[in-house]
Amino acid sequence: MPFTKFTNLDFDQIKASIKEYLRANSNFTDFDFEGSNFSVLIDTLAYNTYITAFNANMVVNESFLDSATLRENVVSLARNIGYTPRSRTAAKAQVTVTVPTTSTSPTLTLQAGLVCVGTTDETSYIFSIPENISTTIKNGQAVFGTQDEPINVYQGTFLTKQFVVDGSLDQRFILENSFIDTSTIVVYVKGPADSGLGREYELAKNIVGINPTSEIYF
Amino acid sequence: MAITRVSRAFKDISLSFVPHPVTKDLPILKNESAIRRSIRNLVETIPTERFFNSLLGSEVRSSLFDFVDYGTAVVIQDQIRTTINNFEPRVSNVRVDVEPQPDQNTFEVTVIFDIIGQEFPTQEFTFILEATR
Repeated sequence: MPFTKFTNLDFDQIKASIKEYLRANSNFTDFDFEGSNFSVLIDTLAYNTYITAFNANMVVNESFLDSATLRENVVSLARNIGYTPRSRTAAKAQVTVTVPTTSTSPTLTLQAGLVCVGTTDETSYIFSIPENISTTIKNGQAVFGTQDEPINVYQGTFLTKQFVVDGSLDQRFILENSFIDTSTIVVYVKGPADSGLGREYELAKNIVGINPTSEIYF
Repeated sequence: MAITRVSRAFKDISLSFVPHPVTKDLPILKNESAIRRSIRNLVETIPTERFFNSLLGSEVRSSLFDFVDYGTAVVIQDQIRTTINNFEPRVSNVRVDVEPQPDQNTFEVTVIFDIIGQEFPTQEFTFILEATR
């Protein structure tokens, strides 16, 4: 095997290659015998080369979308070509809710969060809404949704996460819960002068029509 | 006329790495010294210790915590002989004597062999096997 053959990836091939080189270029002769001290050095060199070759092979594989296998690398490469990976998707139900009330207020609000519990096959599933829904009270009843436009409830728990902006350019806002249905994310940004939750920011799916003052997240 | 095979001289590097006092060259082991060192390396290597060559070495280390008697000595003797026959092709007529030394908790190993293809007398060297922990 010629020493200039650099495509060897197996430990045995690398070791044979080193021995070939020594056979032609060294005064030492004992490298062929497994018990020799020289064999220890050759093993070390071959193992080091083997690990380096393996790592180089993996790095190159993980650098291309066609051959990458680790999810985080595939996601990173896909991000470069404008693809946002899908998240888990919550089961969705469309319901109408009728609430009898004696309230004198003109409207009634269904707060974001848990709204109902469904049961099937002796298992309970909780359903939530991601945003407040208000409706007017008519004849002592508040009806949320209609037959034509029911409200959507999503299976799962409604969670909120607050971040404080520190002004640094590289601050990241990471939602660490891997079970999030990203289609239900709602983002509010609250400044010192804002009341309540603050201003709602929209999901930007492309850069068309975006300007420095756009209130978006992506 | 019979053909006499003569192999090249054996030359190995010494892992002591102590430079020669005058030439400052790294030390080398030649012929019988190289083979002696090789045999000691083989005996002291634990199987699976060497990468991608799990059979290389001998199991003597596992016997060092047994009773220091002639029974264990025979086991060690057999292991050393098998190891040399399997992994050291440069020697023949291998004889191994293992002498237990119960007071010191050690085994004294004497290896006697001929070097194939070289005009050297029968070689003999002795080393001590001792459990270090």
